[in-house]
Amino acid sequence: MATAVHLEEWTGENVSLAQIEEALFTLRRESCEETEGPDMRTSVMTHVAWVPPQWHEAAWTTLEGMAERHPSRAILLVPGAADDDELAARVQVAAFALPGERRHVAAEIVELRLGSERARSPASIVMPLLISGLPVFCRWRGRLPFGERVLEDLTGLADRLVIDSREWDDPVGDYEHLADLFDTVAVSDISWRRTLPWRVLLAQEWPEVGRCQELAVNGPAAPANLLAGWLRSRLDRKVKLVHEPADELESVVVDGRELPKPTMEPLSSSELLSAELETFGRERVYEAAVSAARRE
Amino acid sequence: MATTQENPLLEGLPLAQTPEPCLLVVFGASGDLTKRKIFPALYALAFRRLLPEKFAILGAARSDWSDDDFRGHMEAAVREFGRDEFREDVWDRLAEATSYRSLDFADDEAEEELTRYLQHVDEESGTQGNRVYYLAVPPAAMPTLVEDIGKRRAAQGWTRLIIEKPFGYDQASARELNELIWKHFTEDEVFRIDHYLGKETVQNMAALRFANGIFEPIWNRQFIDHVQITVAESIGIEGRANYYERAGAIRDIFQNHMLQLVALTAMEPPSDFTADSVRNEKVKVLKSIHTPGPKHVVRGEYGRGYVEGIEVPGYREEPGVDPTSMTETYVAAKLYVDNWRWADTPFYVRTGKRLPRRETTIAIEFKRAPHPPFAEAAAEELRPNLLIVHVQPDEGVSLAIGAKVPGLGMKLRTVHMDFVYGGAFQVEMPEAYERLLLDAMRGDATLFTRADEVDEQWAIVDSIVAAWKRDRPAFPNYAAGTWGPPSAEDLLRRDGRSWRHH
Repeated sequence: MATAVHLEEWTGENVSLAQIEEALFTLRRESCEETEGPDMRTSVMTHVAWVPPQWHEAAWTTLEGMAERHPSRAILLVPGAADDDELAARVQVAAFALPGERRHVAAEIVELRLGSERARSPASIVMPLLISGLPVFCRWRGRLPFGERVLEDLTGLADRLVIDSREWDDPVGDYEHLADLFDTVAVSDISWRRTLPWRVLLAQEWPEVGRCQELAVNGPAAPANLLAGWLRSRLDRKVKLVHEPADELESVVVDGRELPKPTMEPLSSSELLSAELETFGRERVYEAAVSAARRE
Repeated sequence: MATTQENPLLEGLPLAQTPEPCLLVVFGASGDLTKRKIFPALYALAFRRLLPEKFAILGAARSDWSDDDFRGHMEAAVREFGRDEFREDVWDRLAEATSYRSLDFADDEAEEELTRYLQHVDEESGTQGNRVYYLAVPPAAMPTLVEDIGKRRAAQGWTRLIIEKPFGYDQASARELNELIWKHFTEDEVFRIDHYLGKETVQNMAALRFANGIFEPIWNRQFIDHVQITVAESIGIEGRANYYERAGAIRDIFQNHMLQLVALTAMEPPSDFTADSVRNEKVKVLKSIHTPGPKHVVRGEYGRGYVEGIEVPGYREEPGVDPTSMTETYVAAKLYVDNWRWADTPFYVRTGKRLPRRETTIAIEFKRAPHPPFAEAAAEELRPNLLIVHVQPDEGVSLAIGAKVPGLGMKLRTVHMDFVYGGAFQVEMPEAYERLLLDAMRGDATLFTRADEVDEQWAIVDSIVAAWKRDRPAFPNYAAGTWGPPSAEDLLRRDGRSWRHH
């Protein structure tokens, strides 16, 4: 993780969006004064994150690890962290050095703590702060509140919804509701990304793996069920899943034969999210895996 | 590699991009190119797991090295020139797949032995007779190698031939080499490298032109005043006197890199991005380039001067260079592409050694706004719109536009809107050789030069060189650290224009 060359910050309680926009402008100017010339704003997206308070620390850790890789504007929405109709803000402009470049590149982070009233319609708060003409990625921390207005509100403005179904208590039960969202918004799942090295290994087992009857996975429920759903949907037939819970994906056994461990280093949470932010459009293979995760 | 129809698990996986099992044979394996470019590129591909699972490398050269010597030299090269951190596990996998044979290319018996050894490696590594031969050897060694490889090609699997530049010395020698190649190989088995085509920014020229609706309608003689292409180097010949004395700037850069940049800038949109569609369009441009007359070409040779504050010797003082050498280290030319799109639009091109800085740019200067409604004094700082593609360094694109200076009056200035690769995409750009090696293994020739392109390039160069035989300029005619001879400035001044100097 690279450290910012310099970082400007502004905070305010009970603020308006105009004050936040002004703070961004002022911080950018102050940031430029620290360097020889203007910092570059080479944004490729707006990154919106819905971060309930229990995910606050984890979200910042991830963000700090990826600001340099995606120097865009990140807007963190923390619901219920202020009085009813209050909006509190913390705005940062961080400048990162670029190899071989004299100038710096600027990343902007806007944390908005929303009172419960404000949290009902977050899109109306986010909309004025979006960088126009660029895609909007919405990272949703924790379980998706299926059927609630807040989810509809934010997915309505996002081009891509990024989740981690490992953060859910009952991922298999919720995959059915998740599948209903696929026609509304493109979905990325960090748990799915974690299965990639294992999917590569399984694909290399072709054609034997094509006759697979039973898949035994030692790992979290979400990736285990996604792997099984993937095999079922790609092979278009039943595959039994034997799931042994563990904190990380530790082993995969196909019809009694254990696969070698992937040689790729596991990615950090920042790298995992970064990878998802480089994906555009619907991921049909994932969608089919989600739909098949509930079928034996 | 099975297709996604044969193996449905491949869909959406990066594995679908991996080449088929193959054996890469590098001739000239003890040379500088293998050390600086080929092995660091192979390591970068291994690092990203882009090489096939069943893969082997055989280095062949005259140096009397063992397998371990070769691996040791290549490990040092990867550590020094690789763009990724050095990881033992990645290197160990690559080293395990690597072997070396000391070989005299002219010795038939040694070639026979090599053939038997390649069959052995095929069997051991499961590479199925698929071979990529990389000919990183001097031009003189090329015909013998092509003949030997052709005669001894594997009975099964596919064969691909990667040929480094220079491809021939002139049109006649290039044709001769092509004839020899075609005796044993089909054109789609031949991959002639011009590493400029592997650069991200050069490929971005196609993205800029053909993925953006705003540029193509104005990419023509009606809106563009002229084009300037610069391939400038601040370094000298770096001990390569033997090669450079024979090649000069015209064969070293102009014949290949420079004419490729002209072709990519001027070509019509291809119907798709397949090898033949792209190369067909480039050939049309090369065929349309009007042979420049002697007044439209300037050559130069650098004398003693200062580069980056250090006094550097003149070309004739470089080790190994003839003290009366007439080899050009600088070429500038005014080219015309005789077609509907570009008629009467000059393409000013220049390349040289020991220029003030390293820079490769394509600058498109648009015509001035027909009637700016501002007072003359307000717009005196305003220059025509300029679109600059920075190939290297500071890879990216910038557009110069006129903007109002903040304040009460109406004062206009030129400002730059920049897209810098390193700023928008926080990933390191792959080295050209990584892309080209991988493409050759996959059999994708889009970024390689086809025989008819080479032929047209040499036709242009031969006509320029023929005119040079009629006079003997007073060399050296520019000091190291300057932008070339005064006559290069005159080339544009006669047209009421000037070279971009920054």
